[in-house]
Amino acid sequence: MARWGMVIDLDRCTGCQACVIACKAENNVPAVGAKEAVRGRIISWMQVLTEVEDHDHPGEQMRFVPRPCLQCDDPPCTKVCPVYATYRNPEGIVAQIYARCIGCRFCMAACPYNAKYFNWHRYQKEGPGQNPDVSVRPKGVVEKCTFCHHRLQHARERALAEGREVAPGEYVPACAEACPARAIIFGDLSDPGSEVSRLAQSRRAFRLLEELGTKPKVIYLTEGEGRG
Amino acid sequence: MKWLAVIGVIAVALLTWGFWWEPAVKQPIEYPHKTHVQQLKLPCTSCHQRAEKDAVAGRPPTALCVACHSGGEAKSEEIKKIQAFGEKGQEIPWKRVWRLPPHVFFSHRTHVAVAKVKCQTCHGAMETLDRPPARPLKTLAMNDCIGCHEQWEWPNEKGGGVVKAVARRVSTDCNACHR
Repeated sequence: MARWGMVIDLDRCTGCQACVIACKAENNVPAVGAKEAVRGRIISWMQVLTEVEDHDHPGEQMRFVPRPCLQCDDPPCTKVCPVYATYRNPEGIVAQIYARCIGCRFCMAACPYNAKYFNWHRYQKEGPGQNPDVSVRPKGVVEKCTFCHHRLQHARERALAEGREVAPGEYVPACAEACPARAIIFGDLSDPGSEVSRLAQSRRAFRLLEELGTKPKVIYLTEGEGRG
Repeated sequence: MKWLAVIGVIAVALLTWGFWWEPAVKQPIEYPHKTHVQQLKLPCTSCHQRAEKDAVAGRPPTALCVACHSGGEAKSEEIKKIQAFGEKGQEIPWKRVWRLPPHVFFSHRTHVAVAKVKCQTCHGAMETLDRPPARPLKTLAMNDCIGCHEQWEWPNEKGGGVVKAVARRVSTDCNACHR
């Protein structure tokens, strides 16, 4: 069974935010509006964290860290969910089942990466212009990046009909597809020949807040300093 | 005063009658499934062609109806209507009866072409209907899906016995269908 994972090369990332926009368009992530934004309710499954340059030290590089849900192998969020609405599935994707979520937001408190978001209102309705493969979240549920698992559903459906396995590269999330710098590489970590598992073994590899033991499957690459 | 309140409640109930549940679907053509399936022995997929080829089953195109119903004099009003649509080159505005919630991923192709599930398992006895159904014949719940996915058994193609669901990649993982 596949174990989906992602490698993000921070030395390649230019901070262009193409991944952020691609994610929002693909997953029907709502624009919450100015009033809600002021209250800190912006929803952005993929977020480019930035570090502002220090004026005392000119010439230093600006740093960008694209942060999707890190799809931890030992996720803190799933352990606190009282209704089993969020769980780690057999392929390693941390799922969020909206129909099951009661909106208690324990998982949001537990996530050390702030990767989960709450729908304070019904921000949008189903309609033209939205991706029909992704449901619009109702009011009162938590949502998060799912590694675009609806694309996996479709890839698997095609593969089943043609009587084969899902081919490498057939299932890629929107952010990885959109990245113009090819900083985001996606694939099967359980396949030793895949690019993603080769890069994950690199000496440049590190994980966010590794010391917490969450074992994220989103692995960052960078040279030398500036890790984590 | 009390009586006035009671009369008011009844009046509101009568006025809103019919809006309480889903309204009946009226199709543009009184299509008899019985004639086509039971008498002519056509398989469902001869008209619902996309059910075998695509995730979404869709509705049959006019060209498919006209392929049989174009020649000769029309026997009934309904066939005349079909021919009128055909001559104008219009699609018949079939109305949707079956709807799954938008948070469910369901592929007809997987279930019809790969798993060989009978259409009637979910859609009910459509072949006995003389006219189009106003509402779905069955109300589907997640238990209907899970019931099959947990216990589904296929006759073994290579020999005797059955193949259990687990061996055939039938998933009960929430993420396999929820989206």
